[in-house]
This record gives sequence, C-alpha cells and structure tokens, in this order.
Amino acid sequence: MTEPLDPDAAQAAIEYCYAQGWSDGLPLVPASQPLVDRFLAATGKDPEEVIGELEQVGRNCTVYLAAVNAAMAGCLPEYFPVVLAAFDALMRERAARGGGWQSTSGPAPMIVVNGPVRHELGFNAQGGAFGPGFRPNATIPRAIGLIVRNAFGIRPHVLEQATQGLPGRWSICLAENEEESPWPPFAEDGGQPAGASAVSATLLRTCEFVDNRHTPDPEHVLNDIADTISRTGSLIFRDTSAGVVFCPEHAQMLATAGFTKQDVQAWLIEHCGRTGADLRRAGKNGLRGIARFADADTSGDGTFTRILPTPRHVPIVVAGARNAAISMVVRIFGEWSGIATEVTK
Amino acid sequence: MPNAILDPTGATTATATAKPQAPRAPRRADLTGARIGLLVNTKQNAAPFLDEIGRLLIAQHGATKVVNRTKVNFAAPAPDELVKEMTAECDVIITGIGDCGSCSASAVADGIAFESAGLPAAAICSDAFRVTADAMAELRGAPGYRYATTPHPVAVLTPEQVTERAAQVLGDVIALVTEQE
Repeated sequence: MTEPLDPDAAQAAIEYCYAQGWSDGLPLVPASQPLVDRFLAATGKDPEEVIGELEQVGRNCTVYLAAVNAAMAGCLPEYFPVVLAAFDALMRERAARGGGWQSTSGPAPMIVVNGPVRHELGFNAQGGAFGPGFRPNATIPRAIGLIVRNAFGIRPHVLEQATQGLPGRWSICLAENEEESPWPPFAEDGGQPAGASAVSATLLRTCEFVDNRHTPDPEHVLNDIADTISRTGSLIFRDTSAGVVFCPEHAQMLATAGFTKQDVQAWLIEHCGRTGADLRRAGKNGLRGIARFADADTSGDGTFTRILPTPRHVPIVVAGARNAAISMVVRIFGEWSGIATEVTK
Repeated sequence: MPNAILDPTGATTATATAKPQAPRAPRRADLTGARIGLLVNTKQNAAPFLDEIGRLLIAQHGATKVVNRTKVNFAAPAPDELVKEMTAECDVIITGIGDCGSCSASAVADGIAFESAGLPAAAICSDAFRVTADAMAELRGAPGYRYATTPHPVAVLTPEQVTERAAQVLGDVIALVTEQE
C-alpha cells in the first residue's frame, strides 16, 4: 500500500512559495533538490552555465536557476530541454535582451515548437492551440515568466512597468500543426533542417483573430487579414511586424490556390498599409526618424504607405483544428530574430 | 528531515556580491562657467525639453555652453564610451526624459554612472516612473538616489508646454547638481 498523500503539507509548501514573492499569482510546485536534479539530468548542460544576462539590472540566469523555475512552473523534467531551447530563442530577440521585460507594452513571449518533440512530450498542436488545457504548452511559457520574475528580478510594479499588459502573457506556446500544414515547418524559416525538433520565439503585443469561414476566395481571406494587420492603433514606428498563425483550413485553401508561404508573405507586404489620410486622422502620418507623429501636412493623403519591410517581419505558422476557418494575427513587439534553436538533450 | 524548498532567485549569490555604495561627485557652488552635457534619450519631447533647460542655464545661470548627445538605445544605460566622452567635454550632466519602463530606469542608471565618473548629474523622469527609477538606483548601489521629476505625461505636451515644464523643473535640476549633502 502506498503512503497517503499529505494535502496539508503540500498547501503549506505552496503558501511558503507565495510568501517569498516567487509566484506569478498562481500556485507553484515547491522545488526540491531531488526534483531539480531530475531536470538537470535531462540536459547535458553544466548547471552553472549562464544562459541569459540582463546587464542593466546586473542579473543573469544559469541552467540551475532555469531548472528550479521550470520545476516550480509545473514542467516535467523531460520538458527542460524545450525550456532551454525556448529561452535561448527568446534571448536572441533584441527586445528580450534590452528593456522589453520592463516595457510599458508588457509584451508576451510566443513560443513555437516544431518536430518530433511535439509528439514525444504531448504538445497540443490542434484545437485550442493558444491554450489552455495541455501541460507542456501551459507550463513551458510559464517557466519563462518565472525566470524573468525570479532570476532576472523583473517584477510587476517595480522594474516591470506594463501599462495594461496583455492576455496570455506567459501562456503562449504553440506546437505547429505540421501534419495539416501544406507548408514547410516554421523551424525551417529559422534555419533548422527538415524534421528537426526546434523552438522559435518572439515577443507579442497582442493576438487578433480573423474569422472568415464562408468565402472560397483566398484573396478575400488575405484582404481580411491585411485589414487587421494594418490597423493604425498598432503603428508607432515607420515599420511594423505582424505574424499570422493560420488555421489549417485557411492555409490549405491558400496552398490549393497555389500560394507558397513566401507568396503569402509577399502578398501581405504588398497589401498591408494605410493611406496618408488614414494615418493623418490617427495622428500618425509624420515620421521623425523612425517614430510616427501627427503632421498637419496633407500632401501625403493620397499615398499608400506599406508597413511590413521584409518577409521576416511576417512570420507564418500553422496551428489549430481544421474545424473552422479562423486564423490569428500575432502582433510582434520589435522584430523576430529569424533564428530557431534546436532542442538538445 | 524533509527536503528544503529551493530558492528560484539566486539571491544567496546576489547578496554575497552586493554592490558597494556608488560614489557621488563633488558639487559645484554654482553653474558659472559650466559646460552642460545634455544626454537626450530620444523619447518624445525629450530633446526640446533638455534644450530649453540648457538654454535657461546659459541665459540665467552663467553656464557657458551645452554639449548635446543622443542615446542610440533609450532602453539601455549609456555605453561606457559615451560616459567617458561626455565626462571629458562637460562639467555637469542632465539626462532624460525617463518616460517609459526601461528608459526611466536607464536615465537614473546614467545619472549614477556620471556621478561615478566625477560629474554631478541630474536625471529627469516623469513622475509615473518613480518606483522603477528608485529600484534601479538601488540595483546600482545608490539607494535613495535623488532625481528630478516632471508630471506625467510628457510626450503629448505642445512646444509651449514643454517650455513651461522645463522652467518648472529648472530649480530642482540646479539644486541636484549644486547642493552639498
């Protein structure tokens, strides 16, 4: 007979973690040395290796600290190589190495997992791709959030100054639905070979759905997406970056009509933008350096201004169920590095 | 004995290497003959705000000239070379406007860096970012570091309002770089 579990001891340990200020608001798994040792055994990396540094606050994160935070987030030890790959990919983002975590925009990491590791660890790539409901998808981004809070010491209302933040911060980890995608895996866009288990990451300012399930015309769908990408509220600089997480139905409709991923990117680069008059009405028609400002000059009213400079500014992923034609525009904070990190054990 | 609950912050090592108290530069009696370094962080209205302060210090307080420099990355503290260069060319530094999460903290970090380099400095932040500015001062070994504040918001001010604001904060800026402790 197994020993009965002790809920009172578990509750006391959880409350202890709250009292130390370690929690993101939800209960943590209290980390013990034997548990963290299992995380460390899942990677070949030296526990003392520094895997990220925030110079301006004088803090860094080691493999050991990442393991403690991943354990507390509710990860299983075998997820740890994915946590490390996600953190590596994220720290390639200029914003994540700079002031992004302190920003008034309160950006959320978006993590994208490709390859066999999705099945090995039980990631959800289908219905409800943005969550919740699946342990690896939910706990891996939470681990990143705890690393930022605890290892980097960036806490809300102190060094973290998000004005409103955004729903989904520390909870967006997509597994690409490679099986129903007509296009090569996203990790290949990040330089990984076909079939690799790899993780890509960037920072988001928000996610915006595009529901278009009644038209058979792929250009209708693309125009609908372009309208969402082009809304003035998100434009603060000359250039912007917005990805699309296509549902399988939209992706397949486009592919059947002959669109490669590159064709979709080129189409969106060409069609996303606003007229000078639209921008002027929102006080964003002028440019001082790369920053937009309200210019009284109306001479540019008739000019259409494009806003997506390169394909890297329009990353494309496929995730979700094939049960409806609903895709998601993901608004990127800064720009994606364009580099995916291999998952190594 | 049950297992210990592990600390996810690395705090034990951080305490062991706690930063020594950051030095504070000697103060001037006044600004007569001073070369004023203006370090602009590129936030909206920061340049005209600091320009106006520089203008007033020359027109009314005997400063001889201003040296203008602009940060390439508002989110990060000024690079060492820039601190060195301005230290060679200036007698007093004014930096700002701290008007966002990272740049307010960085403005204060810059002020502390110039103090360590031997120049009295005044960082100016919007009053919405006091907590993060104070937290950065503590991280840089200067708990209680004093800086000037102007009411939030700054980015939406008209040119006339910027001029008014600069005049309002001028007394605090002068006090920060001249008053002995």
